[in-house]
Amino acid sequence: MDATALAFLAAGLGAGFTVFGAGMGIGRLASAALEASGRQPEAAGDIRTTMIIAAALIEGVAMFAAVICLLLAIK
Amino acid sequence: MASNVSIDSQLLAKSDGYQNIETTEQQALESLHHEPKPEEGGDRGEVFMQLLGKLSDHDAFYFGAYKICDLPKIYYDEGLDVFMNTEQALASGKYLVEEHHGHKQIVKASTGMPPALDLSITNFVLFQWFAIFICAFLFKKVAGAYKKNPGKAPKGLQNAIETVILYVRDEIVRPNIPSRKAADFLLPYFMSLFFFILAMNLLGLIPGAHTPTGAIAVTATLAVTAFFVINITAMKVSGVGAWFHHLLGGAPWWLAFIMVPIEIIGLLVKPFALTIRLFANMTAGHVILLSLLGVLFFFNSVALSPAITAFSLFIYALELLVAFIQAYLFTILTSIFVGLAIGSHGDHEHGHEQHAH
Repeated sequence: MDATALAFLAAGLGAGFTVFGAGMGIGRLASAALEASGRQPEAAGDIRTTMIIAAALIEGVAMFAAVICLLLAIK
Repeated sequence: MASNVSIDSQLLAKSDGYQNIETTEQQALESLHHEPKPEEGGDRGEVFMQLLGKLSDHDAFYFGAYKICDLPKIYYDEGLDVFMNTEQALASGKYLVEEHHGHKQIVKASTGMPPALDLSITNFVLFQWFAIFICAFLFKKVAGAYKKNPGKAPKGLQNAIETVILYVRDEIVRPNIPSRKAADFLLPYFMSLFFFILAMNLLGLIPGAHTPTGAIAVTATLAVTAFFVINITAMKVSGVGAWFHHLLGGAPWWLAFIMVPIEIIGLLVKPFALTIRLFANMTAGHVILLSLLGVLFFFNSVALSPAITAFSLFIYALELLVAFIQAYLFTILTSIFVGLAIGSHGDHEHGHEQHAH
């Protein structure tokens, strides 16, 4: 395998792991938020806002990885 | 960089599998303007690379694949050089096009380096101006409507915009910034931030138009502005001494050699994360759309088009959502960072204000 092939392999694997991690993170976050708003429906609005912010932070980390994968793929 | 740029770029092109081996200056110039159309029987993997090229900045005003007009090139390197377009810049003999891993770059002929300051009006700059124009036009109109019938209920466009303005004020800025005075002082900044980013994001969803927020330079500039707003507000509200004290992170003074570097990194990571988040989100959606469309070119079959159309429409709707969410997030995160930087030094008026509206 030459360097380009390795870069593509790394990009593909990296994207896969990124999706795995981000999916786990956002899944746990959403389940916790749903549970919380089920227990306290009157706080659902606040919980949703906090959830979106936390989801964006997780997504931000995933996006770092996605940018690195993109850079590897177009190398 | 070697001084003989054309030979250098040929060598680079040979070592790079995606580029044509014969890269003369003329060809490099042509491909700077538009990516070559995928040829019959050509390498189909190249299609994706060419589509990715559509996401990058251009040196002329493009709408889709159509060139509308040339844009001026302004370089500053030991004197100001102004050209009407790239051809003129190259014809002057002062500048060359250099190719580096498929990325074309204007360099000075004498040094082989990019000009010290490139103030050229590019495609993205133009689309930013469109966003500014749209925002200014909308708000001029809304402000005029308030002047025309003061004290009356808003209607139409005025009503639609007022809803968003009040949302930004009451849900984003005021709850997150502890000092009411600072919140109201910074309100115009957050309004501009929200509507400017939203306008740029939505511009990219018009077929053929480009998203300036898909350029890292644009998002980085927005984040650097946010960095100064965060820290200057903190210094003004809680004092310069408190700002420096904040660098200790509440630890005893003898831990300063650990805490101060960490806190300084913490200061810099915030705008960096803002930059990457907005840039990556806007780029990722476009890359997915282009990948889906690239599948059509890859398989060259009509049978796939219904599925691709459905998927593309779905991603397009998702991008519409992302355009709003990212504008919201950039604004709310900046206001949260301002609130954190101010700390508990605010005037504590917000507790009963939050639920008053």
